[in-house]
Amino acid sequence: MAIDCLVLGAGQEVGKSCAVVTINGKRIMFDCGMHMGHLDHRRYPDFSLISSSDDSNGALDCVIITHFHLDHVGALPYFTEVRGYGGPIYMTYPTKALSPLMLEDYRKVMVERRGEEEQFTSDHIANCMKKVIAVDLKQTIQVDKDLQIRAYYAGHVLGAAMFYAKVGDTALVYTGDYNMTPDRHLGAAQIDRLQLDLLITESTYATTVRDSKYAREREFIQAVHKCVTGGGKVLIPTFALGRAQELCILLDDYWERMSIKVPIYFAAGLTIQANMYYKMLINWTSQKIKETYATHNPFNFKNVHKFERSMINDPGPCVLFATPGMISGGFSLEVFKHWAPSEKNLIMLPGYCVAGTVGHKLMSGKATSVDLDKDTRIDVRCKIHQLSFSPHTDSKGIMDLVRFLSPKHVILVHGEKPKMASLKAKIESELKIPSYVPCNNETVSVPSTHYLKADASSAFLRACSSPNFEFSKRHREEGENLGSEGTELNSRLQVNDERVNHGILILEGTKKVKLMHQDELPLLLGKEKHVIEYAYCSYTRLIEVEKNEDTSVTSATEMRSNLLRVLLSRLSREHQEETIQDFGEYIQVNSVQIRVCDKDSCPYRIKGSHENGPGSAFLCLSWSAGDEELAWNIIASIETPQPGHLLLGSERQ
Amino acid sequence: MEQPATSSGEPSQASSADASDETLTRHTLTSLRSLIINPSSPVSLINSILETLTRHLRLSRDSLILHHILSLLAELAHRSPDRSAVIFQAVRSFSLSTESPPLAAESLDTLASISENEEICDGSFFVSLCFDSLPPSRLWLLKNAGRFRVRPYLLFTVFLGFTRDPYPYVRKAALDGLISLSRSGAIEDHSLIKGCYHRAVELSGDSEACVRVAAVQTVSEWGQMLAASAHGMDRMKWSNEVFIKLCSMARDMRVDVRVAAFNAIEKTKMVSVGLLLQTLSKKVLDIMKESNYPGQGSREQKEAFAFSGALVHGLEDEYHEVRDAACCSMQKLTALSSQFSGEAINLLTDMLNDDSMAVRLHALETMQMMANRGHLSLKVLHMHMFLGSLTDSSSLIRDAVRQVLKSVKLQNMELFRLSVYGLIESMKSYHQDEIKNLSVLFNLGRNHGRFTESLITKVFNEIEPASDGKLGFDNARVSAFLMLAIAAPLCHVKNRCKIPVPIFSYAVTMLGRISSALVDEADQDTLLAYLTHCSRSSNDHEMHSGNLLPSHAKVQLEADCQLLKSMNDMFSKMGSIWSAVKLGHINKGLRTLRVCKGELAILASEPSGISASVAFAEQYLRIVKLLSKIYIHFLPTVNYCNYRVGNLDLLLVKLERRLRDIRHQFIGQPKEELHILELILFSYVVKLLLPEICCCEITMRKLSAVLFQVEHLQEEACMKPSSFVSELEKITASTPCHPSLLRKAFSHFSLEKFELSGRLEYASAELTVPGNNSENPLYFVCGMPVAIPIKVKLGSIPRQRRLWLKMTIGEEPTEFLYLDTKLYADSTRFSYSAPFYRTPKVLSFTLRISIGMECMSEIIDAASRCGGPRYELTFLTPEMDAYLSSEKSIHSLGTGV
Repeated sequence: MAIDCLVLGAGQEVGKSCAVVTINGKRIMFDCGMHMGHLDHRRYPDFSLISSSDDSNGALDCVIITHFHLDHVGALPYFTEVRGYGGPIYMTYPTKALSPLMLEDYRKVMVERRGEEEQFTSDHIANCMKKVIAVDLKQTIQVDKDLQIRAYYAGHVLGAAMFYAKVGDTALVYTGDYNMTPDRHLGAAQIDRLQLDLLITESTYATTVRDSKYAREREFIQAVHKCVTGGGKVLIPTFALGRAQELCILLDDYWERMSIKVPIYFAAGLTIQANMYYKMLINWTSQKIKETYATHNPFNFKNVHKFERSMINDPGPCVLFATPGMISGGFSLEVFKHWAPSEKNLIMLPGYCVAGTVGHKLMSGKATSVDLDKDTRIDVRCKIHQLSFSPHTDSKGIMDLVRFLSPKHVILVHGEKPKMASLKAKIESELKIPSYVPCNNETVSVPSTHYLKADASSAFLRACSSPNFEFSKRHREEGENLGSEGTELNSRLQVNDERVNHGILILEGTKKVKLMHQDELPLLLGKEKHVIEYAYCSYTRLIEVEKNEDTSVTSATEMRSNLLRVLLSRLSREHQEETIQDFGEYIQVNSVQIRVCDKDSCPYRIKGSHENGPGSAFLCLSWSAGDEELAWNIIASIETPQPGHLLLGSERQ
Repeated sequence: MEQPATSSGEPSQASSADASDETLTRHTLTSLRSLIINPSSPVSLINSILETLTRHLRLSRDSLILHHILSLLAELAHRSPDRSAVIFQAVRSFSLSTESPPLAAESLDTLASISENEEICDGSFFVSLCFDSLPPSRLWLLKNAGRFRVRPYLLFTVFLGFTRDPYPYVRKAALDGLISLSRSGAIEDHSLIKGCYHRAVELSGDSEACVRVAAVQTVSEWGQMLAASAHGMDRMKWSNEVFIKLCSMARDMRVDVRVAAFNAIEKTKMVSVGLLLQTLSKKVLDIMKESNYPGQGSREQKEAFAFSGALVHGLEDEYHEVRDAACCSMQKLTALSSQFSGEAINLLTDMLNDDSMAVRLHALETMQMMANRGHLSLKVLHMHMFLGSLTDSSSLIRDAVRQVLKSVKLQNMELFRLSVYGLIESMKSYHQDEIKNLSVLFNLGRNHGRFTESLITKVFNEIEPASDGKLGFDNARVSAFLMLAIAAPLCHVKNRCKIPVPIFSYAVTMLGRISSALVDEADQDTLLAYLTHCSRSSNDHEMHSGNLLPSHAKVQLEADCQLLKSMNDMFSKMGSIWSAVKLGHINKGLRTLRVCKGELAILASEPSGISASVAFAEQYLRIVKLLSKIYIHFLPTVNYCNYRVGNLDLLLVKLERRLRDIRHQFIGQPKEELHILELILFSYVVKLLLPEICCCEITMRKLSAVLFQVEHLQEEACMKPSSFVSELEKITASTPCHPSLLRKAFSHFSLEKFELSGRLEYASAELTVPGNNSENPLYFVCGMPVAIPIKVKLGSIPRQRRLWLKMTIGEEPTEFLYLDTKLYADSTRFSYSAPFYRTPKVLSFTLRISIGMECMSEIIDAASRCGGPRYELTFLTPEMDAYLSSEKSIHSLGTGV
């Protein structure tokens, strides 16, 4: 069995995320995005590759959308309404709520502003959304008898999720876009330690390692604060969802703590509406917001007011959030026209601006003036500050996630080719996990896990239920050198529990697999079990007994047990770290058994001079292979005469 | 009532007949119990009861009855130890056969309680129990292993073995057992420690979060043991190894694992600087790439990405618990390396923008510690955030920033200028902070003489009276500059001071404010003298310019110094007093003490008023007196009946209270704290020598807690332990403690070598019930709550300490009232209406009120708390009487109250 991953979009590029994964016969499409950079057929994933016939319905079991960004959801109405996919679509509640907004907004821009041909209509969007099944975080959805999916929190934007999918014993996670560090309004991605065959992860910042977010926050606050204390106005062009709320929380919090009285404004429009969504979907925000929510909804900003067009030229400092983010038109451009000429003012640009927008012109070099069109030229004397907040994880975050999940294979998507290659090399060298960077329309196959069911014998089950551990000194293997070679000597104490490790797998005549306990095997095969044991019998004089009437009467049995007692006390003194047990007849130290030998000719007896008498006897030792060293130690200590041990005598007094 | 079996006659026969009945009822069990606890029940009867109970234990199926039988058997074993072996066997076979987990746990509990008292349970028995029982019982056994007397090495084997168990909670319990075993210090074998450590490392990748938490702790504890048992380079190597492991666990997806990891990192005692620096950067540093750590090959390089930036990640975590823990561990780690401190400050100042106040406070505390060690080097980059916190809306944060500013050494003029202007800004926005800010400015000026001079020369024209001759001293800016300026001459710079002389005369006009800002350092008269001296010095200046400054320096807090000196002279006498007492010349000792007390009274009557050090000395003298009186009880040659010394146990109680007061009411330098702790240790030793008075176990536990604190303080202050302390260390090392060792420690105690360093803070309070006396009582209605109007003035109450109002009538139980910190957050004086609920049904009564502060180290046991404070209180005020009457008196009617 194998997992086949057909990458329809975001293979070695950023945009139109779409991957069709086949696991154990089930086909899932993860994300269905559009590419914003293309206006031709390259805008959509090549859906014809899904099946040779044009029937998308039978070819896919479900579609899963990770979040509402257009490069993840943009092609969905087209796929369902134009291409005719009618199967289930899964996304989280916020994604379901916000996707139509984004799609509608995009449709309007395309049709009304650019005058392009309509790809899908408002009705298409509405109909498409009717097919969506909303899911909650960590809710396990049984799509059909075999296919299970589950969403995990991904950070990134409101409602973004990673999806876990499992068919039979095979499981994979598709991350979508995610963020491993929390920001002010969204938490960090969070997932359980799962057994995975495949991880498909984004790799937007495959080589960047970002520093602490606090430094970025500090720069931002410092710049804004400095500008408003100097009496200037700050324009923050942002997108409606995400960064606007992030920065607003940051500023509102700082304003509150430092009791700054300068007003913060939100331009009307989508942003206000977006805040409403945030207020409703509080459960999807960061821990801090959830905690404070009980007392006060953090999206009810204390210091934020609504901005009216008439207020643009009001005197005094202020901070204004306006859409769109790249000053490509709309209200932010209007405000820009008024505020740019003053040296006191400040424009906060987002980290990335598309070429051709005013934002892009401002970013590239020190522009002293900007031509809006043939007749309008704006002098730019204000300060420009560039933000570097990003809701994507950096390369360290990706590595951390891969390390935490430790899947068997990794596929990288949603990134730039050279950077992805470097990350792939890093994952393979540091984590030893094979990884792939497929390009668009390429299929990657990885083997999948399949468990076989086996019967177990009752003896094996019994053995499993009670602990049976053993300790061993294992010699260090190559490649897991934990210290320097010289000092660390090579062996390490190991614990094993037999009930977990030991069992014998047999194929019975009927080809049924069965697990047995190792003791059952000889029975099955009709053979006897052989154990290697060593033995040694030698003459020992342990006790010096006072020669008086009393002792002569002592019976042989009593004498023997006295001998063993003396031996026991000596052994427990000398071998404190071993487990010494007294069984009356004999003493056992680990596997070494010591008994008094009363046979006349013991086959293990060592020849030598001896005299019979009270306090001396033949001691017969037997041990198994593992305790050889211990046994010889004991023999050595028994055979060394120990003067002054009149224990027996003193005990009897 | 029936006479139970005093005369082995019929009643006992009847009972035993009952007992042998096939069905045991609860009623029968009750009567059996009364027979068991009756000491005069005959042996034969007890035997037959035992026989009945064990038989029913085997046969009965009723879980309730079984439960009672088990408790009866436990009782029986407790009462007659000679039968405990039989009972033990019976219960044991029951525990193995029963299938109900609660009953199994109960029977194990019975076994444990028997083996606590008796030496029945040997190791093999415990092991067989562990192996034979079902997983729930196994879990119980592992959790309660300490109750069975099992040899540590055997216990270790069992725990280590069970870390392989398929049940996660058993694995967790096994790891927890290993952690407690490591604390007992019984395992010393290096290879065993190593084995255990590696097993814990393996489990840190367990799929269950609870196991991972326990694994993190185990890695930390056993890793430390591993490092401690290694020598030379190996020790560093192992420390690094453990540090890396812990740091890479700090990136777990579970909050509790991350918190545990940071708590463990906090305990790091030794680690390479390179690794420390790497925790501050997510990028792999060059220093790691070079990897010049001896004998470690490229392992760090390989793992560098896993643990790099661990602290950064911790500090920007979503959960404030993690951020808090990361901040704490950073605080501890800054002590290890100054280079690390230098890098950490970047992050710390950023943390001041955190939304959790606890985290911000921790960050500031860390900076304070760095400043104390001289490792805090602020840069201009940090100042916006750092000084911004001076305008934080929380007074706790503002106070913490001021504390840092008081002790920081600023590197250049720019930083100094920024700090001064930051303080001025804060004064403008928070008028209530003016005095505190002025005090910081004074410290800044004193610590940075050169910078102050150049700043003051620049702004001098602002301070100078305007052309119309008006001085703008009510202006925050000007008063700040004045404060700064007058501190400059106190800076110990070689060259003479260039502060324009008129400034000192101007400063006199705001003497009130200055003196209240410097209330801890000097009184008004001293200040006036100082300012007059400085303003006059322009004339002296021509005459003897050379020694101008030294004379200024001498003026500094002259009176205080004088006081301190005479006080320290007095303290130096304590040594001779103690040797006199040791030799049995108790009267001579007490006489000297009385003389000292007289001297102190004179010192206290001086204009400076009762300062913290005088109050300290008074308490101290009382303690020495008590100690001397106690000591003679131990002198073999002295017949102490000749002296009026009082009852020993009463003396001990008094001593304990006094020691508690002095320990918690005064906050001084480590030196003073150490001395007080030594006195406390001595009092414990005395108690331990008197087993008939105190409970040895509790005292021993307290002793080791205090001893630990002493060791910690000594380590921080780099001081050598006194011979007394090192004797005590020997005692705690050997358990059970030996009386001869105690005696030896006792004889090593001495009172020498104590000096006040002068920077004491005294937590004090004044309490009044305004307008209330026996003539003008407060009106109350019987049985209804009444409000007692009180006025409180507080002095130097440390943050986090909670205050309680204690109200008592006669012998009635006391009522405690918690005083919310908000009441005195911004001011040291406040008025408050304290509700008193249990007004008695009398015409009039007197209520005794006092204010107590919680002593954080001494927990009151939960039973006797009844809603009051969690910790023992030290009382800051004597008990005040408030008079209440249910009849409106003529006076109050007249005044219309």
